[in-house]
Amino acid sequence: MAHESVATDETDIDETDIDGTDPERTDADGTDTDGTTEGQVTDSERAIDIDALSLTYADGTRAVQNVTLSVPQGEFFGFLGPNGAGKTTTIKVLATLLEPTSGAVEVNGFDVLRERTAVRASIGYMAQETSIDTELTARENLMFACDAYGVPRGERATRIADLLNLVDLADVADTPAGNFSGGMKKRLDAATALVHDPDLVFLDEPTTGLDPQARNRLWEYFRRINAGGTTVFLTTQYLEEADHLCDRLAVIRDGRIVADGAPDELKRRVGGDILELEVDGTDRAESACESVEVAADIVRDTAAVEPSATVETTDDAIRITARDAGDLGPDVLLALRDADVPVTGFDVTEPTLDDVFLAIAGDSADGLDGTTEAVDAAATEEASGEDAAATEQTSGATETGATEEDDNVVQGTGVEA
Amino acid sequence: MSVTETANTRLRDLRVNAERWTRKAVHNPTAFLVEIAVATLSLVLFSAVFGDVGGLALERAGFGDVAYVTYLLPAVLMQATMGSAFSSGMGLVRDLETGMFEKTVVTPMSATAVFAGKAAAELAQIVVQLLVVVGLAVAIGANIETGVIGVLGILAICLLVGLLFMAVSNVVGLLARDEEVINAATMLFMFPLLFLSPAFIPLSDDIELVATFNPITYGVEAVRALVLGEDVLTVVSVSWFGGVADTVVPAVGILLVLNGIVGAIAIRLLARASSASVA
Repeated sequence: MAHESVATDETDIDETDIDGTDPERTDADGTDTDGTTEGQVTDSERAIDIDALSLTYADGTRAVQNVTLSVPQGEFFGFLGPNGAGKTTTIKVLATLLEPTSGAVEVNGFDVLRERTAVRASIGYMAQETSIDTELTARENLMFACDAYGVPRGERATRIADLLNLVDLADVADTPAGNFSGGMKKRLDAATALVHDPDLVFLDEPTTGLDPQARNRLWEYFRRINAGGTTVFLTTQYLEEADHLCDRLAVIRDGRIVADGAPDELKRRVGGDILELEVDGTDRAESACESVEVAADIVRDTAAVEPSATVETTDDAIRITARDAGDLGPDVLLALRDADVPVTGFDVTEPTLDDVFLAIAGDSADGLDGTTEAVDAAATEEASGEDAAATEQTSGATETGATEEDDNVVQGTGVEA
Repeated sequence: MSVTETANTRLRDLRVNAERWTRKAVHNPTAFLVEIAVATLSLVLFSAVFGDVGGLALERAGFGDVAYVTYLLPAVLMQATMGSAFSSGMGLVRDLETGMFEKTVVTPMSATAVFAGKAAAELAQIVVQLLVVVGLAVAIGANIETGVIGVLGILAICLLVGLLFMAVSNVVGLLARDEEVINAATMLFMFPLLFLSPAFIPLSDDIELVATFNPITYGVEAVRALVLGEDVLTVVSVSWFGGVADTVVPAVGILLVLNGIVGAIAIRLLARASSASVA
């Protein structure tokens, strides 16, 4: 993706934007922004710099544990994880709504504790729950946001008109927001987070509860924001969403980052494409299940299937995960025909982020405690020994090495997200 | 950045928030209008139903030459003030529920200015309501002895009472985080406080002690002193200033002290709710 160049181009513009939008805000708290001498250049290119962040709630819940993460300017970054993984807690620390228990956090080069006002002036924040004033019209909501962020008077009219067009609310600009549908409210919420043209926008599960059409429109909108040079930090439970939007992802579970990389890179860690064969052998064996096992053994013995590939079985299908799994098809089909196993279905799929997530989650699947349906399914389906091989590979490749320690992590504590 | 610039930014934040809450009230004026309607009804109904009885009571208490509607006016002003002030916490709870509270916190605006702006808008609405009620009362025969200056004083005293109950309402709102609870609290506070004071008829000996500890007693008597142009304070006896001031000065003093106490609690709770915390 072309964001590298975008990021460098935007660096200077962004700097002036902070000051240009509202000079009195940036240094409102009078703190010394030039305190650091080392790594100053790097800091200015990083939108987010988290070093060993931990947050423990008053009730003892360790919502975030030792998270280290940095996001360069211009990136569309995804924070992916199930409910209660620590996504919202992290985003609230970044948005200065929660104070870290330990660790250092810088946003746009400002410390979230010491330079809170400067951080607030330089970010847009879209909370998980739609936050708009339903008694005000769309235009008035945007006007209030302009006022709150000190957008210069002369720029407001065009800025508001542009944003209303961007989120397709121009024709209902003067309708009270209370009359809007869920999707329209979300779009208005997103627009209000952008009135001051922030360098960095936080989107906390922005499409949760939206119908697919509304979701797609929001996606399109987020892409446009990012294309304009704004760094986006998005949290989501939807793997599809992260795959569609993000340049880079971090997967978080139980407060720890368990994987990190580009969506394609993460997909590769699963071990390749997936070839799924549906077999029907009820007339030959006592149960379908048994016949699938027999067929799987035949597949394993096929010379073309390398030892690195994984072969799993479900009730009526065989799943082969391997590099270029599609190429195995003819050989496998022939082998099964020779053994008189009728193949009723044949499908080659690229791994989805679901598979990535399952591969990672499978590592400690027995510890999972009903976090999401997807993970639950994974736990039951993938707890088999076969899957362990794929999972080993994945955890070995994680940058944080957090997965190795996962056995020590308290599982499914119902962390408040 | 200079001190003046900071002050300008704060002032702008205050204005911005006052504008937001005024706009909301203009778009959705039901609560505002209902409060005026209730005050009007009270004024008309109480003077029609209790007029004769009230007249007798006034005569016995030495207010023989005062029309009941004139005597009643301070009570209705207190009622309207309290009713409106209690909706302050409702707005806060709604903001907490809709996420607007958090959204406002995450902006670079000063938290103090945010709440001061909201309070300013609410006080302005109370002023408009009170002026309407005073106008109506005068139209149906109430008489304000101290004239226009007196009306300004009356408004100031009502705003002190308003601030006090806005603080109470915000404290209830922040503790309960539930509009229903504030609704219930409004009723629980308003009726006993109004009736256990010399609001509707002069104090009887039975409730005098209770009335001494009732803030509404001081609000209502300070307003009444300005309406009648004489010292009317019954629960405590002060004679250092002479005339109206013998009622207004101690009453305002007590209201200021109460505002200081409840206000400090409200501000503390608001600051806690809006500052980044270790949850």
